[in-house]
Amino acid sequence: METGLFPVPVRGGARKMPGPGQWIAGESIVQRMDPRVKIASTVALSLFTFRAGWADACLISLLLLAVMRAARLEFARMLRVVRPLAWFAGLFFLLHLFFTDGTALWSLPALHIRITREGLFQGALVAWQFAALVLCGAVLSMTTTPSDLIGGLEKLMSPLKHLKVPTQELAVMAAMALRFVPAMRDEFDRIQTAQAARGADLEGGDLWGRAKAALSVAIPLMISAFRRADELAEAMEARGYHRGPRTALRELRLDGKDFAAMGFMMIFTAVLAISRLFVQP
Amino acid sequence: MIQVRQVSYRYDGGKAPALKNVTMEIREGEHVALIGPNGCGKTTLIKHFNALLAPGEGSVEVDGMDTRDRKSRGEIRRRVGMVFQNPDNQIVGVTVEEDVAFGPSNLGLPPAAIRERVDEALALVGMESFAQRAPHTLSGGEKRLVSIAGILAMDPRYIALDEPAAYLDPSSRDRVLAMIERLHRRGIAIIHITHDMNDLAGADRLLVMDRGAILLDGTPRDVFGRVEAMKDLGLHVPQVTLLMRRLRESGLDLKTDILTVDEACREIAKRIGSNGNGALSGSGPGGGA
Repeated sequence: METGLFPVPVRGGARKMPGPGQWIAGESIVQRMDPRVKIASTVALSLFTFRAGWADACLISLLLLAVMRAARLEFARMLRVVRPLAWFAGLFFLLHLFFTDGTALWSLPALHIRITREGLFQGALVAWQFAALVLCGAVLSMTTTPSDLIGGLEKLMSPLKHLKVPTQELAVMAAMALRFVPAMRDEFDRIQTAQAARGADLEGGDLWGRAKAALSVAIPLMISAFRRADELAEAMEARGYHRGPRTALRELRLDGKDFAAMGFMMIFTAVLAISRLFVQP
Repeated sequence: MIQVRQVSYRYDGGKAPALKNVTMEIREGEHVALIGPNGCGKTTLIKHFNALLAPGEGSVEVDGMDTRDRKSRGEIRRRVGMVFQNPDNQIVGVTVEEDVAFGPSNLGLPPAAIRERVDEALALVGMESFAQRAPHTLSGGEKRLVSIAGILAMDPRYIALDEPAAYLDPSSRDRVLAMIERLHRRGIAIIHITHDMNDLAGADRLLVMDRGAILLDGTPRDVFGRVEAMKDLGLHVPQVTLLMRRLRESGLDLKTDILTVDEACREIAKRIGSNGNGALSGSGPGGGA
């Protein structure tokens, strides 16, 4: 569907499919929305999720489904994002299921085990909260480029400048970290291969052997990171980097759809508040 | 013009000085190749050009601005671009276009102007279709071109490149070298550190460094004419130049200040043409290279 957006590599470095939760190239309305609106909405939605009751849970789920649909994120793809955390969600579900007081649905008095109605509901709600939080974050990170995320965060935090928080420097640091994570991963692979080529046993062995093997990769990796940092600092300086104000390639500007989204979020918040008044005692 | 006057420099804790009383200048629009064995001070010298290093003794001036003057540092770094040896550690953007935008952002240009410069610089190096790619997905040659684009976006007058063709496969290497030649034709002065004598064909001037000093300074033809001096430094002269020299030693009247195979062919053909076949019949076994 969007294959045209993937530039064909000239040679080498074949473009990998984005992993679960990683940004996907696309042109949907959610993708084009201002990152600040998306970040703020995600934060708001996460807070609502934490405090959600049953009615809220239904409304939030509907909203999430609608956003996923608007962002053209397929269900299967989202399932892959949630799956790694299914264990935790399951564990919490079971804990609540077995350890909540209330009306018993089923019990085994000999082993002091019993399942209550409250436990069932509570567990299901907690599992849902888990999934909803992960999905919130995933929708944000899958529809927003890393640089937009950083740019948006920088802008949202800019009031903190008055408290002498160096928001621009923090943004540059975050961008550097993002840039060099894949580079460090490649470096890790290279060092591991180099050590293995010289006969280091990186796989087997007892706990002590494994710890030594890990160290034999970690120390060169750290040294290389320091050297990299030195060269990077020099290159940044050579390109005129300095503390203090700088400008950005992409100017964030709110337009119609962003205001519409903000308005929608406000209405949604109001609906949640009202439903709380009426539905829950 | 970049003027280096009697500059000496010693790294902290270094025993021997990295630069010893170096005096030289780079004129506008020149293409200078800088060669010499590892550790001879080439990189130290070019780091003086854009105020990354301040001279211990002597002075460096870029278009009349002293590199020790803090106030003109920004402008000096805009005018003198630097492409380092390892492109991996100088690409700072999460995407290619953001990396190219890094310099103009530091200059404080408005977003529209940055966009213009980024597009122009990427088009100039032929990487416009890579604008959205992440740097770690690029090949070595592509990374090199991106780091050159990042410098071009600053609109520099001089570009110093530290072994820009190192570790590249032949076709990427040709692409990068052709790029450098194109920049030179646009009027940007090029300072090109290299170990490969075959990269020098486009250079107007050749500087040979050894142990922190400049030993030879002249046109590539001049410098390669001095084969003995080069050999003493452990530097190779291009094979064709050596071949022509051998031919001459074996008694042929050939020019030896020849740097490319094409030139050699022409020179030999000319001899054959003017003197008939007899001129080369005496070469005997001496020409087998």
